[in-house]
Amino acid sequence: MPHTPPHFADRLLEFFCAPHLLEEVQGDLYERYVRDVRQLGVAKAKRNYIFNVLSFFRPFAIKRQPTEYPQPLFLHPAMLRNYFKIALRNLWRNKSFSAINILGLALGLTCSLLIFLWVRDELRIDHYHANGPHLYRLMERQFSDGKRTASPGTPWPISLEIPKKFPEIVHAAGFSWPGSLTFDANNKISKENGNWAGADWFKMFSVPLLAGSPETALKSPTSLAISRKLAVNYFGSPEAAVGKSIRIENKDDYQVMAVFEDLLENSSDKYDFLLPWDDFERRNNGWANDWSNQGPRAFVQLRPDTDVAAFEAKLKPFLHNYNKGIDLKNLASFDIELFLQPFEEIYLNSEMTNGEISGGRIEYVRLFSVVAVFLLLIACINFMNLSTARSAKRAKEVGIRKVVGAERSRLIGQFIGEAMMLTLIAVVVALVLIAILLPGFNQLTDKKIALPFTEPSFGLTLLGIVAVTGILAGSYPALFLSSLQPVKILKGSLKFQPGATFFRQSLVVVQFVISMLLILGTVVVYRQVNYIQTKNLGFDRGNLIYIPLEGELPPKFTTLKQELTQLPGIAAISRMSEQPGGIYNGTSDANWTGKDPTVKINFVNVSAGYDLAKSLKVKLLQGRDFSPNFTTDSVGYIINEQAAKRIGYKNPIDQPLTFWGKKGKIIGLVQDFHFSSMHDPIQPLIIRFGEKDDYGYLLVRTQPGQTKQALASLETICKQLNPKFPFNYTFADQEFQKLYRSEQVVGTLSTYFAILAIFIACLGLFGLASFTAEQRTKEIGVRKVLGASVTSVVGLLAGNFLKLVVIAIVIASPIAWYVMNLWLQGFAYKIPIAWWMFALAGLLAVGIALLTVSFQSIKAALMNPVKSLRSE
Amino acid sequence: MKRTYLGEFEEIVLLTVAVLHESAYGVAITDELDRQTGRSVSISAVHAALHRLEEKGMLKSAMGEATAERGGRRKRLFTVTALGSRALHDIRAMRDQLWSSISPNALPAISI
Repeated sequence: MPHTPPHFADRLLEFFCAPHLLEEVQGDLYERYVRDVRQLGVAKAKRNYIFNVLSFFRPFAIKRQPTEYPQPLFLHPAMLRNYFKIALRNLWRNKSFSAINILGLALGLTCSLLIFLWVRDELRIDHYHANGPHLYRLMERQFSDGKRTASPGTPWPISLEIPKKFPEIVHAAGFSWPGSLTFDANNKISKENGNWAGADWFKMFSVPLLAGSPETALKSPTSLAISRKLAVNYFGSPEAAVGKSIRIENKDDYQVMAVFEDLLENSSDKYDFLLPWDDFERRNNGWANDWSNQGPRAFVQLRPDTDVAAFEAKLKPFLHNYNKGIDLKNLASFDIELFLQPFEEIYLNSEMTNGEISGGRIEYVRLFSVVAVFLLLIACINFMNLSTARSAKRAKEVGIRKVVGAERSRLIGQFIGEAMMLTLIAVVVALVLIAILLPGFNQLTDKKIALPFTEPSFGLTLLGIVAVTGILAGSYPALFLSSLQPVKILKGSLKFQPGATFFRQSLVVVQFVISMLLILGTVVVYRQVNYIQTKNLGFDRGNLIYIPLEGELPPKFTTLKQELTQLPGIAAISRMSEQPGGIYNGTSDANWTGKDPTVKINFVNVSAGYDLAKSLKVKLLQGRDFSPNFTTDSVGYIINEQAAKRIGYKNPIDQPLTFWGKKGKIIGLVQDFHFSSMHDPIQPLIIRFGEKDDYGYLLVRTQPGQTKQALASLETICKQLNPKFPFNYTFADQEFQKLYRSEQVVGTLSTYFAILAIFIACLGLFGLASFTAEQRTKEIGVRKVLGASVTSVVGLLAGNFLKLVVIAIVIASPIAWYVMNLWLQGFAYKIPIAWWMFALAGLLAVGIALLTVSFQSIKAALMNPVKSLRSE
Repeated sequence: MKRTYLGEFEEIVLLTVAVLHESAYGVAITDELDRQTGRSVSISAVHAALHRLEEKGMLKSAMGEATAERGGRRKRLFTVTALGSRALHDIRAMRDQLWSSISPNALPAISI
């Protein structure tokens, strides 16, 4: 026909017109159209046609006729029974495929569910306070030395001053960094961990009080709040504890004014006692009151109707009036602004770069969520691939079902239902696996996660996962199989289009891309963790013991030292105000000749005793250690290379340096060593003289192999000199490991995940390979008869799969490179990403894939062609 | 007298089906209506009436042959059922009876 009616109108008619009327209606309209073309011309005819189509938009034409044949209900018990029977028979007949499917899915689900539980736990941390949404942490953003830095450390008085100035603030409370103090009550002595906190603490945070009132808990300078655990430990019960007195550090007595419930598992702060805010000031007299110091944290509770952005703008210049170090005329060179961080976000977003909050654990939460989705995806792809590959076997069933009247939607329902049934079995297997794995997982991640069966949200999530996985895994086979034409299937002329194979192959590529990403990630994380742990820190962390100097030890330090030096097995002794590895105290209060007065340089500082370099085994480049032979050493300073560079003396020894107003000179220059985390670059360091300090840590360098004896004698001496305190020590290398705990956990977890990913992917590959080998039995037989060797047949079969793995490697490498580079940015000291990592990961993937595939291929190639060709 | 109600348009369509006899289908009926009564009705209106009449049992239908100009689609051919025939006869009888009851001068003259 030269002219056809407008296509879209036709489509519209086909769409809305009831199927049983369509033929006659459309026929009539065509007939009329042909007449119109003849009589009125094409344009008019088309217009008429459209008008006619539209005029059929009437109830009688739209209303669908109930089908002429009786339709058994989709959910009819008889049909359901049939579906189940067929599904089970299929499962049973192909035991290996079913096992691969269920096992793969179960493993993927186990991982994803574990990660889901972990993420859920992470997201809930600190989210239990009734005032949570209105709680904020005060943050300082400092501009100095051309750099922007942010920190949660604020001046001690700020939490007392700020509520007076801003009506938006309901409560404010300072909160110190955690401290460890020795408690002495009822003849029990033990170390406890806790903080100093502002008087409003219990009004702001939902920590239930078992005894005492929030008003008086931390009001008087000698009040004390302890946890239920401590109350039971020292006094037997929370009620008995109230009003009792506890001697702390064998020095001061405090009255227990309140007993609070032990902190919940999902609290990021773990304190067993709280001391009043005034007490903090008393202990840090002079230093605490100085508005230019960055000390403890400060939390505020805003009124619910506060416009936070506007309030933050008002808050920003608050310190200008208090901090004398800020010159209002020269804000460009030095300035401190205040800003707020929502309390509930602190736990996951605790890192600051360039003066902004830049993330933290949230990155691991995101990373692992992605990994969870990936693993599930790999498992789903297995399922899809195996089902589609084997669809030829079920095509006959589809044909028969269609002939006896199954509609497409029912077939889709049937196949998705089957997929869901399998998923359900896999979920049950996964739950059993999780129950077995959880204790180990908890230990690894330092959590107390349990399977939350009682919570409806968990059940819903499980259902959701079953539904999503079932639909995802079952959709392609369902859509594909149900689209087959019964005539073709039953005539035996069914040919699978190359499209289906291509689809399958791309899915395999996706699987291996993900596996490669995980392998590469694992390699990089492992190398980096290893690098950090074995990197030369600049000081020797083996055979080094830290012992806190407390109680009687600081006054008796000279005696202690004398006794210790006589002990066998001890190589050197010194002391430091902080543990090397955790030195962060910064100050810019340092002066020297030729200093530019407008520049504020942040110097990390620490105090140390005699023989520091000898004990730490830090290399002295110039000058000497603090020594009892020089009385002038009390104003001597030892600096590191970074500090020497910033100060700028050509030959720093004996040059003047004024630190915290104390005039002195530089006596030693040490090589740079890592005194804080390796996430940060080495900063300029000034070591001042601290032999006579009344706090700090004793550093004991033991002879290799004699640590045990040294420890035993150390304990006797400490007990003797300091009977009121328990003996306490840490090893330098263990403390160091703790700094990189989260990296280690990530490393271990990602190894497991990578192994699992490649395992699940190979399960699928194994299934596919055996399927292909089975399908090509005849072809291989013919080839062998014609003289093909076993190697050429294996090459033929395996080559196809290897091609896919190689493509996956090519795709995954740049992505992995980009992502891992991003991760490494977080470290100041990092490994370069080398080509051999890609080669290693690639070889690993190829090797494992080859192993998987060749088993089936060799089996097929070794088959006797007589057998494979006879059967017809 | 108890009988099925027939609308005016339905009655005409039913009559046209009878006129076309064995070759009555949508377009043919529409054309015949146009030619005989001068009414230009849409195909959909005719289809709707046919559909209703079939529901009332006055028409029955069967699929006929396909033609090229219909794009290979078959026609639905309608025939009047006994009930339909009865209804037409009833209407005609009633009208005749009414006509015969009108006195000759009761209606004003209309022509010539």
